[in-house]
Amino acid sequence: METSLASVVDELSQLRDQLDNEVAKGKRVEAALLESERESRLIVDRIPGLVATLTPAGEVEGVNNQVLEYCGRTLEELKQWGTSDTVHPEDLPRVIEVITQSMASGDPHEIEERIRRFDGAYRWFQVRGLPLRDATGRIVRWYVLLTDIDARKRAEAQLAGEKRLLEMVASSCPLTDVLTALCTFVEVISADCHCGVYLIDWSGPRFRNGAVPSLPATFNDPIDGLPVRREIGPCGQAALLKQQVIVTDLETDPLWQESAIRPLALAHGIRSHWSTPIYARDGRVLGTFAIFHREPASPTQIQQDLIAQVTHIASIAIERASSEAALKRSEAFLGEAQHLSRVGSFAWRVAKNDITWSEQLYRIFEFDPQVPVTLDLIGTRVHPEDLTLLHDMIARARSAASDFEYEHRLLMPDGSVKHLHLIAHGTKNESGEVEYIGATQDVTQRRLAEEALDKARSELAHVTRVMSLGALTASIAHEVNQPLSGIITNASTCLRMLDADPPNVDGARETAKRTIRDGNRAADVVTRLRALFSKKELTLESLDLNQAAREVIALSSSELQRNRVVLQAELADDLPPVKGDRVQLQQVILNLLRNASDAMVAVDDRPRQLMIRTERDPGERVRLTVKDAGEGFDFRTVDKLFEAFYTTKPSGMGIGLSVSRSIIESHHGRIWAEPNDGPGATFAFAIPCAVMRTV
Amino acid sequence: MAVASLVAIVDDDESVRESLPDLLREFGCEVQAFESAEAFLASNCVEQTRALLLDIAMPRMSGPELQQELTRRGHKTPIVFITANGDETIRPRMLAEGAVECLHKPFSEAALLRALNAALTVG
Repeated sequence: METSLASVVDELSQLRDQLDNEVAKGKRVEAALLESERESRLIVDRIPGLVATLTPAGEVEGVNNQVLEYCGRTLEELKQWGTSDTVHPEDLPRVIEVITQSMASGDPHEIEERIRRFDGAYRWFQVRGLPLRDATGRIVRWYVLLTDIDARKRAEAQLAGEKRLLEMVASSCPLTDVLTALCTFVEVISADCHCGVYLIDWSGPRFRNGAVPSLPATFNDPIDGLPVRREIGPCGQAALLKQQVIVTDLETDPLWQESAIRPLALAHGIRSHWSTPIYARDGRVLGTFAIFHREPASPTQIQQDLIAQVTHIASIAIERASSEAALKRSEAFLGEAQHLSRVGSFAWRVAKNDITWSEQLYRIFEFDPQVPVTLDLIGTRVHPEDLTLLHDMIARARSAASDFEYEHRLLMPDGSVKHLHLIAHGTKNESGEVEYIGATQDVTQRRLAEEALDKARSELAHVTRVMSLGALTASIAHEVNQPLSGIITNASTCLRMLDADPPNVDGARETAKRTIRDGNRAADVVTRLRALFSKKELTLESLDLNQAAREVIALSSSELQRNRVVLQAELADDLPPVKGDRVQLQQVILNLLRNASDAMVAVDDRPRQLMIRTERDPGERVRLTVKDAGEGFDFRTVDKLFEAFYTTKPSGMGIGLSVSRSIIESHHGRIWAEPNDGPGATFAFAIPCAVMRTV
Repeated sequence: MAVASLVAIVDDDESVRESLPDLLREFGCEVQAFESAEAFLASNCVEQTRALLLDIAMPRMSGPELQQELTRRGHKTPIVFITANGDETIRPRMLAEGAVECLHKPFSEAALLRALNAALTVG
């Protein structure tokens, strides 16, 4: 068209040249000239474009019908273009300047400007002016052709706007900013409308105002937080049905009479409401894009194309924002988890010696996070005693991409020690380079807690032992007071016998002997108690229980003989060693033998038979049994037998079996009693065998 | 101190049974010692006993149980309890139960004598 216009203009100018020549030739051709002008007028009017002629001074001389029709103004009005709104006010100064220059220089001009249409809309035109000169070269007239380039201009502006929006998305601008720019963009491109992006929080589901920049809070606030339902309005339906909803006139459309949006919109002078769903890539609806007009309106194809384009950009922006938020959340989550669990993570590309640390690992090592990590740097923190371990670990890690795990300590600048537990997983990439991904946990508190726990356990064991005996403080006093009482009484008696006249020397000697005996008895009690209450760690050794038993038997044999007890020992030949405290276990054996012997003191009608037996017990245990033929015990009181202070013996302290039990239990064993089928009782204990060494 | 006053000792502790009678005899008492409450009850001394030195804690029948048994049988034998238990709440309890005295082992000769005199006076 431009080409054809250009040729027409050429033609025209030739024609004008001829005509002007004719005029110059004289009045006689005037009639012919008038006729010719009329014809050329007709031609100009028939040109499918806008044509104007200007005087050499630049004033409008004439325009064709198309100009009059487009502008909806008279020629007289158009002549005032320099002071009217015919040319868009933003363009006017530039247009005047260009034309003034062109008139002065006589050079053709070309300018793009917006010219007001009859309905007030401005459209872009390309305006080209060519001078018409006479034979002497003087400009006699300007011909101006105006070409409508509005579609092209719009497409360019739209493209530039879209490009700007995408740049905003790509540079991670806040979502609200992007959506606001997007709405403003549409409002500029497609004049006289208001735009809004409504996001959907599907957990409600509720609408959240993404951006509605050109409408007041009185309109926006009531919408924010509305439930996503069809009856809400076009946006609700568009979101739920996944389709565009066009309401040309909210006031008259029967479908939306009851909708929540209608009174709100009408109160703000809004008549038409178009709502288009914004889809995620997977088809979910992320929100809706709304265009409001103050007059009833339905979208043109251009507007539909624009809507399609901006909803696509909105979709990209929203999805990107949510994935960035998710990433930030997940990073924050990981960071917090590492902080809480005192676990730092690292990556080590062995060949390049490239080490990456998580924030928490820097915190554990107390290094500045800005400092690049090197093995040498790590070496400065590792406890000097563990450096060999570190070097060994590094050497092994370099040689093969295998998983490894080790524990080491750090010596911090303040002299404190940290215990670390490191686990790493080795991989090889395609080019064969070894890379480790691993985690390091600060287990200092756990170590300290374990140590504290061990200590507490040992204290507790002691306390428990002291409790079972210490609850017997009264019994201790009892046991000590008995001989003390004897001592005092005997001494008193002794004095009295010596004071008698004549002195009863034999009696005094006898009571003095008893005094000594009771004194020894008191001392024995004290010694025994001291042994019981002393906080001694178990001296664990691998020992032969048979041997321990034989020693006890040898020690007790004279006492047993005195009590006329017949001892029978059946010690197994194949007894595996046990791990235990020799002295304590012998105390238990001695206690069992004494109890058995004591139980038979009153037995006169049968042999005072005492049997001691050792044997293997199922479950890697060794059992020692002591069986007597004494009075036995009431089976109903079996539970009380091992309680502290319980005694059936006239002179018993009631602590022997309770101490025996605590000793056996500290050897992870069990002690028990059962009545015999015949007379007497059987006491036994079983303790685990020592772990067999595989040599 | 009357020669006829029989003092009985009931205590499961042998050293008491050995030492105390000798001292009491030095005081001029006639003394019988028993290793258990049952042995005392089974003896023929119950009637004649003017004062009873009685251990509290004994296997089988305890001292207070013997006291109840004697009361049940109508004997009003004055009782001096002796105990090796250091618990200080025992003495007031025993006195409330009708004992003449309650001696904590080890006791002095003087304390023993005072208690015995009190018992024999009551008797």
